[in-house]
Amino acid sequence: MKKETMVAIFLGLLFGGIVAVFISFKSKDIELAKNKVIAPQKGKTSFPNTTVIEQQPLVLDEPADRAIFENSIIRLKGSAAKDSLIVVQSPIKDLIINNKQEKFDLEFPLALGENSIKIVVYPKEKQFRPQEKFIKVYFIDSEL
Amino acid sequence: MKKTILFVYLVICLFGYLTLNVVAQTPSASASSSPTVVVDKNIQQLKDKIANKVSEIRKKNNKAISGFVLSNDGNKMIINNNGEENQVKFDDTLTKYFKITGAQKKEIKANDVKKNDYAIVSGVMADNIITANVVLIDENFLVDSGKIIEVNKDSFNIKVSTSDKTIYSLDVETNTKQFMLNIKLLEMEKVGFSKIKEGDTVHFVVKKTGEEKNNNYSAIKILIIPQEYFIK
Repeated sequence: MKKETMVAIFLGLLFGGIVAVFISFKSKDIELAKNKVIAPQKGKTSFPNTTVIEQQPLVLDEPADRAIFENSIIRLKGSAAKDSLIVVQSPIKDLIINNKQEKFDLEFPLALGENSIKIVVYPKEKQFRPQEKFIKVYFIDSEL
Repeated sequence: MKKTILFVYLVICLFGYLTLNVVAQTPSASASSSPTVVVDKNIQQLKDKIANKVSEIRKKNNKAISGFVLSNDGNKMIINNNGEENQVKFDDTLTKYFKITGAQKKEIKANDVKKNDYAIVSGVMADNIITANVVLIDENFLVDSGKIIEVNKDSFNIKVSTSDKTIYSLDVETNTKQFMLNIKLLEMEKVGFSKIKEGDTVHFVVKKTGEEKNNNYSAIKILIIPQEYFIK
């Protein structure tokens, strides 16, 4: 065989090999692109139709449990979810408030002696559970 | 004659001098008393300051406890609140005792406090012993809420399950104040027993005597939150 023929065969095989490797890699990429991704890609997790709503807790700033007062009228101060229904009950008074703002400041009467007060908040979003606080405060007249 | 005139003149001068002296001494006498007044004022101010400070400290250390009386010997008593026992010491000169009936209070004596009375004690706590300033004998109220799980229209009784899974049996009497939330107006309105349904939420107040059985109480007042409020 002539030298030129040998070179031509060698170059043909080399070129054919290169093309084969190229096609093989390309077909793998096409195959991967066609398949659906099952596992979520890192950093790209999203829930387009889900909104996470956190329930605002009932916080009672005043008065403290077992506080002693010399006045028969106190103020209940705290915060709860906006537009929730607040029910305050004691042996001498029932109060129902639509909490239009987060902060509330309610005037509440006390009976002489011990006053058991239960505060329950019913959130506007009905899927949330009601929240409760129970306190005992004392009205001890300074004249006693 | 000249001597007589001189003598009379001297006498008049002496008399005038003495008179002036007495007049001059009168204000000086009051001036000498003013330091005493100032000292008295200072003492009074100091006394007031001490009294205020003592009052402040008393208020700061003042605690209130309550519970059913287990024993009372006239000098001290032991009260029990849900299993927690507290010793209360009486002070002959300081402690006052009252019985509360509705909005009225009536002064009583230490020996009038009987076993099983519900006592509210205010005083200074030290070493787990409270020295009472005031002892009030009152009624014990339970205020709670929960879901109605059973309505008995024959016996006018409802069973309520609270958030801590306690089951209360409440008798709705003719004198029980019954209210319901108007879900449109968000206001309370009076209702009858027939309006109460299973699944409603109820806020209730009952009187506790400590002798109840099966968590059965006579309701003083109930406030119903209808279940429709939660599905509107």
